[in-house]
Amino acid sequence: MAKQTRSKRAGTCKQATSLITDYLTGTLDPEITNELEHHLGVCPDCVAFLKTYKKTIQVTQSLLLSGNLPELERSKQKALHKSIGSHNERG
Amino acid sequence: MVEAKSVEARSNRQYFTSYEETGELRSSAGESSRERSLVERLKAGDTDAFDAIFHQNVNQVYRRALRLLGNEADAEDVVQEVFLTVHKKAKTFRGAAEFSTWLYRLTVNAALGKLRRQKRSKEVLYDDYLPKFQKDGHHLVRPVVDWSDKVDDRSDQRELQRLLGQALEQLKPMDKAVVVLSDLEGYLDREIGNTLGLSVAAVKTRLHRSRLFLRGKLAVHLGYSPA
Repeated sequence: MAKQTRSKRAGTCKQATSLITDYLTGTLDPEITNELEHHLGVCPDCVAFLKTYKKTIQVTQSLLLSGNLPELERSKQKALHKSIGSHNERG
Repeated sequence: MVEAKSVEARSNRQYFTSYEETGELRSSAGESSRERSLVERLKAGDTDAFDAIFHQNVNQVYRRALRLLGNEADAEDVVQEVFLTVHKKAKTFRGAAEFSTWLYRLTVNAALGKLRRQKRSKEVLYDDYLPKFQKDGHHLVRPVVDWSDKVDDRSDQRELQRLLGQALEQLKPMDKAVVVLSDLEGYLDREIGNTLGLSVAAVKTRLHRSRLFLRGKLAVHLGYSPA
């Protein structure tokens, strides 16, 4: 559990957790970043939370990137192209 | 052209796999003069230009739709819808945005429309998987366990992927779109907001809640509290 920190914006675990997204993208105000990092320095729970949050993103990415998305088969490309063409002629 | 997030700007995001590996991001130099010429000919009603644009972009549109929808038949429907729109509305394309940006928006919005029409297999309450806090703002369940190493150690990686895949499908359509566009395709919050009609703050909120939900699902699967 975190000790009380100086900050009112990243002083509690709830506040710290809500800042994680901006912290990870580097878009957090520098002063708040310092406050958050101070909190992380005294709160192993939030460090564990941050690590599992980052891992979740990593696993999600690997899932979405896995499986080498296929190209649309040539035969289906042709069929779609033909279908679009006939729609366009009617339209 | 939609800008890709700068890797430098994401110095804290070292966990991100380079999305350039997907081979789907384009050069930041913008569209070539050949592409611009094709678009001008398309606007003038040149069917050969339409054919060329179709063949140049069909796989990118298909893959993006497939990633968002997870279903080949639905992705094919999106391809058809997108290129019908391109043909019908090419004349209204003003060129203020680059053609690739327009195509990207058409694809995402067509896929999002399909996602919204799909009946999700089961409504899941996000709240059951979000972290909980005490009144004083500290974690409700302590200690919070760092299970990040456990994910890599597990022998049932396929099961883990299946679970996460299901969890992604349980996200609200707009949330899933935000996750895919941000975490996979690397678009900026502002760009995602412009495409989906959301404020930047709303994009951030949806992204954060979705990640918390996915994190909670993983935690429960691994035998830990999502809180």
